[in-house]
Amino acid sequence: MFGLSFLSPLFLAGAAAAAIPIALHLFHRRIDPVIDFAAIRYLRAATVEQASRRRFRELLLVALRVAALVILAVAFARPYLAASAADLAAPATLVLIDTSASLSAPGQFARARALATAAIRSAPAGQAVGVLTFGNGADLVAPLSLDRAGALAAVEAVTAGGGATGYRAALARAAEALGDRSGRFLVITDLQKSAWDTAGDGSVSGRVSVEVIDAGGPASNVGISSLHIDVSGAVAVVHNYSPRAVEPRLEFAIDGRHAGSVQVKVGAGSSAEVRFDLEGRSGGALTASVGDTEGYAADNVRYAVMDAADRPSVLIVTPSGAPSEALYLSHALEVTEGAGGIRPRVLSGSQFSELAPERLAEVDALAILGTRGIGRRGRELLAEYVSQGGGLLVGAGPAVDPVVIEEALSGLLRSRWRPRAAVSPDKAVLRFAPDDIRHPVFRLLGGVGTLTNVAFERSVLVAPGENADVIARFSDGSPALIDEQVGNGRVLIFASDLNREGNSFPLQPAFVPFVVESLRYLEFSRASTGASTGTATRSSRTEYLVGDLPGAEGASPGIVRIGGAEGQGSGRRVAVNVDARESDPTRIDADAFGAMVSRLQSRAAQRARADLQDREDTLRLWQYGLALLIVSLAAESVVGRRVG
Amino acid sequence: MSAAELRFLDPAVLARLGTLELRARTVVEGFLSGLHRSPFRGFSVEFAEYRQYLPGDDLSTIDWKVYARSDRHYVKKFEEDTNLDCHLLLDLSASMGYGSRGVTKLEYGSMLAASLAFLMQRQRDGVSLTTFDEAIVSRLPPSARPGHLRAILGMLDRVRLGMRTDVSRPLHLLADGISKRGMVVLISDLLDDPARVVDGLRHFRFRGTDVIVFHVMDPAEITFPFERATRFRDMESGDEIVAVPAVIRERYRAALRAAQEIYRGELGAAGIDYQILDTSRPLEFALMAYLSARGRGRK
Repeated sequence: MFGLSFLSPLFLAGAAAAAIPIALHLFHRRIDPVIDFAAIRYLRAATVEQASRRRFRELLLVALRVAALVILAVAFARPYLAASAADLAAPATLVLIDTSASLSAPGQFARARALATAAIRSAPAGQAVGVLTFGNGADLVAPLSLDRAGALAAVEAVTAGGGATGYRAALARAAEALGDRSGRFLVITDLQKSAWDTAGDGSVSGRVSVEVIDAGGPASNVGISSLHIDVSGAVAVVHNYSPRAVEPRLEFAIDGRHAGSVQVKVGAGSSAEVRFDLEGRSGGALTASVGDTEGYAADNVRYAVMDAADRPSVLIVTPSGAPSEALYLSHALEVTEGAGGIRPRVLSGSQFSELAPERLAEVDALAILGTRGIGRRGRELLAEYVSQGGGLLVGAGPAVDPVVIEEALSGLLRSRWRPRAAVSPDKAVLRFAPDDIRHPVFRLLGGVGTLTNVAFERSVLVAPGENADVIARFSDGSPALIDEQVGNGRVLIFASDLNREGNSFPLQPAFVPFVVESLRYLEFSRASTGASTGTATRSSRTEYLVGDLPGAEGASPGIVRIGGAEGQGSGRRVAVNVDARESDPTRIDADAFGAMVSRLQSRAAQRARADLQDREDTLRLWQYGLALLIVSLAAESVVGRRVG
Repeated sequence: MSAAELRFLDPAVLARLGTLELRARTVVEGFLSGLHRSPFRGFSVEFAEYRQYLPGDDLSTIDWKVYARSDRHYVKKFEEDTNLDCHLLLDLSASMGYGSRGVTKLEYGSMLAASLAFLMQRQRDGVSLTTFDEAIVSRLPPSARPGHLRAILGMLDRVRLGMRTDVSRPLHLLADGISKRGMVVLISDLLDDPARVVDGLRHFRFRGTDVIVFHVMDPAEITFPFERATRFRDMESGDEIVAVPAVIRERYRAALRAAQEIYRGELGAAGIDYQILDTSRPLEFALMAYLSARGRGRK
């Protein structure tokens, strides 16, 4: 009532104690003694209470006592004002349609659309229905309403795209659309296993039931998982997800013209690399395609750009600027060659502080391995660089003082860290475990196995900010890699050293792809910020995944231009490709899906309880309740004295 | 009870003594014996002695016959006339039956009337007794004969509580019936309209009669000591009033004080003595008040 809810509703049972004064009033009425008295005339003159008035006072007294007990119980139940109760009244049905690349197999999406249509038609009469598509993000294509025709029309209009499936994000968006209502989500999907691997804060309220409707998937799939240019030409990787070996023919085209073809034999469940000689061509858009009539259509084509581009520049800040302080990181970056190569430059903290702002603006990403010498000006430069879209990698080794970073990014960076003397005493060595294997940082690692070999003897304890994602953890559960959006920029915090202080990571094969992809991710972040805000940023990145780029350019695979004036055809060409993990048709069953949803609901319940606690802490209605209790007790005392 | 009061008998104790005559005798004789050491010596009715006049003595007390014979001024003390009629009016209304500490107001009033009658008889004053509630219940005409005291005491022994209080009506009736100069002693709890009571008593004053009013009250009526919520039943009408004493105590006392102030002011203005008698106080105080008033009335 009135949106009032309770954090500890069990205490409301205490309100039953209100029956005690009522029972005493009804069944144990005290009989006043009768005294024969002579001087009644003076009593009358003293405005003696009449019986009717006394009865009223007794009722008032009972009411006050009942109120005091009820208020006490309510105060203990810790009340708070919930959202409008009216919102909770009407259940609704939201149909979630998977439009990711993994729905692009022949006939697969038509089946999904038919299931969605049937789900809408079978929704209870009088119940609002909405349609949400997910694949490249999550879009509410038909808001909740009683308009079934509109919902059906929206379903007819949707098609499978090239995006990646992300159940967490989809359910989170659906929960947002449903608001505080109760209802059900009907998820029409191919139950692709990798779709649960993405990180995210998806949560589903316990008031919502989630039903999954299997749209089916292909038994096999052959797709091109990679296409890039190196010094020797184009390299395509073909992956065969079928239980038998295949021999597909890859067709290559440059700027739309057929350039050649290569046949390759790929074993069951394995991949094969295909090299294609570009014959000295240094520019143009390269397309590789494979004929796969059974599997997903979206991954049959992959794009690459051969246009020359500047190598990204990475500035590494160390305590003294000595090459040995960034030895492993520098060497890891120097091994990159060709169009995607990275140019590292090592500076001391004091040199960084004296850097001209325009010089810093040319830097594509910044890595800090030491903070000594970073003065006030250096901190201001750092804050300006990040807030304007720059990417920062912090290797939280012993040479990095967290106070310097916190002061420099004060008000921007929410994550905090502090050193810990040693790793957890019961586990002498920590291991590295990615939380989100689909994060771009882990793009080239091809699985988590190589990372788990890394041993950490020293690390820092990171408290992630509210906008931060934990994309990797140590084996004791503490965050190992934090990705936080900071202003227009992005900060990656690696919770240990990147120069072999306290860990063996630089000696592991996974180190090179890890740091390269981390810095490319940061560099890309800066580039995409520039693209979305219209600011001129220099970037060398030539490949993006569907959904990476804002707007229509990034919504489907192909070759697009970015960075130029709209409609002018200027800017540079980049390739937009399907996420390679969408090619994996491995599926989970509905029970496993339900188990994941249950975890989300459990998390939502925990979060809701925390939110309610915060709200209750903010409102502190129990204090008003206690004040009211005191007032009612005082009134009870006054009235009780008059009743005797 | 003060130290001075301790030498007198507690009325509650006195009420447990044998007959009313014995109680009256005990009070009066004890009282008179005490007077030899008291400033009320001048109102004794025993032997009249002569002594030489001293400055300050009332000139009316000089015996001019002795002066004619001896050419000296002597005052003749304590010689009294016997032609003073004292009319005792005792209220028998139901409210007089209230008593919170072993003696009711009626018992106290009866003992007081008996004591006064005893005292008056010893002064050879004529004594009458009238009992009333809302009307006159019984009446003995005034007489100074020795056997009359026994009749009065017998009548007091037989009194029973009557009905409602209506003090003024009997007073008017009695005032019209008194033809001789005398004194009226009203013993009542005065639980009536003060204006009507005062009006009735003024009637006596118009006829030159001295009046003493003994307002008899029980201590509980004065202090209102009750604690818990109580249903108070009117002893005259049976009406009930529920009250929380703690809440109304002060207002009750204020109402009582206001009524007493009316009596004190109105009766004082009419030349009527007004005495509040708490039934816990010894009767001797009432006798002192009587003699004091009587002395003033003779001047």
